[in-house]
Amino acid sequence: MNARERLITSLEHREPDRVPFDLGASLITGIHKTAYKNFTDLLNMPEKEVKIFDVVQQISTPSEELLRKIGVDTRNLSPLSSSQWTLNYSEDAEYRYFTDEWGIVWRMPLDNGFYFDMYKNPMAEIDTLEGLANYQFPDPTDDARFVGLRQRALVEHEKGNAIVLSSMSAGIMELGAWLRGFENFFMDLALRPEFTRALLNKVYEIKRQYWEKALNEVGDLIQVVQEADDLGAQNSLLISPKMYRKFIKPLHKDLFEFIHSKTKAKVFIHSCGAVSDLIPDLIDSGVDILNPVQLSARNMDPVKLKQEFGKDIVFWGGGIDTQSILPKGSLTQVREAVKRQIEILAPGGGFVFNTVHNIQPDVPPENLMAMVEALHEFGNY
Amino acid sequence: MAVLDEIKESLMEGDAEGVKAGVQQALAEGIAAVKIINESLIAGMQVVGVLFKANEIYVPEVLIAARAMHAGLDIVKPLLAESDVQDKGTILLGTVKGDLHDIGKNLVGMMLEGAGYKVVDLGVDISPDKFVKAVEEYKPQLVALSALLTTTMVAMKTTVEMLEPYRGQIKIFIGGAPVTQEFADEIGADAFGADAGNAVEKANELIAKLTLHN
Repeated sequence: MNARERLITSLEHREPDRVPFDLGASLITGIHKTAYKNFTDLLNMPEKEVKIFDVVQQISTPSEELLRKIGVDTRNLSPLSSSQWTLNYSEDAEYRYFTDEWGIVWRMPLDNGFYFDMYKNPMAEIDTLEGLANYQFPDPTDDARFVGLRQRALVEHEKGNAIVLSSMSAGIMELGAWLRGFENFFMDLALRPEFTRALLNKVYEIKRQYWEKALNEVGDLIQVVQEADDLGAQNSLLISPKMYRKFIKPLHKDLFEFIHSKTKAKVFIHSCGAVSDLIPDLIDSGVDILNPVQLSARNMDPVKLKQEFGKDIVFWGGGIDTQSILPKGSLTQVREAVKRQIEILAPGGGFVFNTVHNIQPDVPPENLMAMVEALHEFGNY
Repeated sequence: MAVLDEIKESLMEGDAEGVKAGVQQALAEGIAAVKIINESLIAGMQVVGVLFKANEIYVPEVLIAARAMHAGLDIVKPLLAESDVQDKGTILLGTVKGDLHDIGKNLVGMMLEGAGYKVVDLGVDISPDKFVKAVEEYKPQLVALSALLTTTMVAMKTTVEMLEPYRGQIKIFIGGAPVTQEFADEIGADAFGADAGNAVEKANELIAKLTLHN
């Protein structure tokens, strides 16, 4: 059984030879450059320069050598940048800045900064249909994005790897919030329904056009389409289920049905936090895979989730808690946690092992190694 | 007092215009500004906090309620007599060094304001030094520290350490997604708030303790 067959079997809710393992196949299942450096040093596989996969979160691109050594089944496939945009940094005394292709300005502290965070939201002052119509959005079909995409997919396909295709952007609700700013956007949902619908429709349309072109290129070669929309906070949803169903769900459903019409690949959605109340809606919208299964958030007990939804949705993540155990636990605690999560989530397939969200710079490399060893020890069916 | 209930209702619905109209009417009826604030605006935000904590309302509803509260406060605050102006206390609020997140912090700030506190929001990426300077400048009773990430919550520890010389005058409480009571105990913070509603409860408890001791 090769990596691709292993992943497909699990995504079809059957048991492969062992639990499939993802590290770094998406920008939310990866490893921060600092943790990566510490880990490769521990393994005596130091790299001169760590390649960055996601600038904002400072996520690394793990080397093929490392992925093979620790038995990772998945590989990322990403579009290139649009011809209309290049990454340019600027600095002042305290921060490094860049502007993304949506016009969002990000900054990272120069002094030991971990990540870039949003600094300016380009549509903060735009809350009318007219303003929206005049706003310059990125072109999702720009040819430069798709250069070499099929060739890169073929290389991974030949190797028997499972391929996860990245989106060109954040999720539909996320982009609404990032363009307008969180407070503006959340108030828009309550106060400006017509404008909010128009904004979200615009974002949806851009994403649909991207997926159409990307899936025309590689829809036959990939196994997973990676989407996202953070709907949860630590203890609750960000918006009510009613509001989700009114504004977001119809667009999720249209987008995911469209993707399904273009490819046999499964739809993966990343949604952090306490999202259990919306899992039935996500399943109904065409989501096949839920990530990151944030165990530490409210009502995200994996036993209950597996029992209630395990037949209808794949859990990708939830392999180990990243808010306390992975960064702060002992080697024994890490090992026990991995064993327990596999016992809960692996039966019947429908589980891809990954940490809850990206591995952060505070994770000791020894803990990471203990996690990988526990997965190899307990992950066989 | 029907009008005060109406203001409260409008606030909870996030109806800023309704709050404004209600406040104008209350003033026309001769109700004192301080009574309007306490019995409609603060009382309304208190219910909002309870509903938020119970997952009956969510971030959008809290934000528009806070906006409606401000619409009311903007009218009545200038009318307060000098003797009426008694904030429950001053709270210094900020996201700690290295962390640039502020949605949760801002919600906490709104709820604390809604509970009658004067809130000085220092912003994000605030170094221990800046917290110390602000304590000197604003003389708060409470200091509230926020962090979203496991990697940045450690800066809470250094901030608490730097504030050690002031611990006789101030109480420190902390919050944010990965933060727990256990962590608060570990770094010597006085309290942990699980969410914006809970932050108000903790602020009230800490203020009561300070008053008791001083």
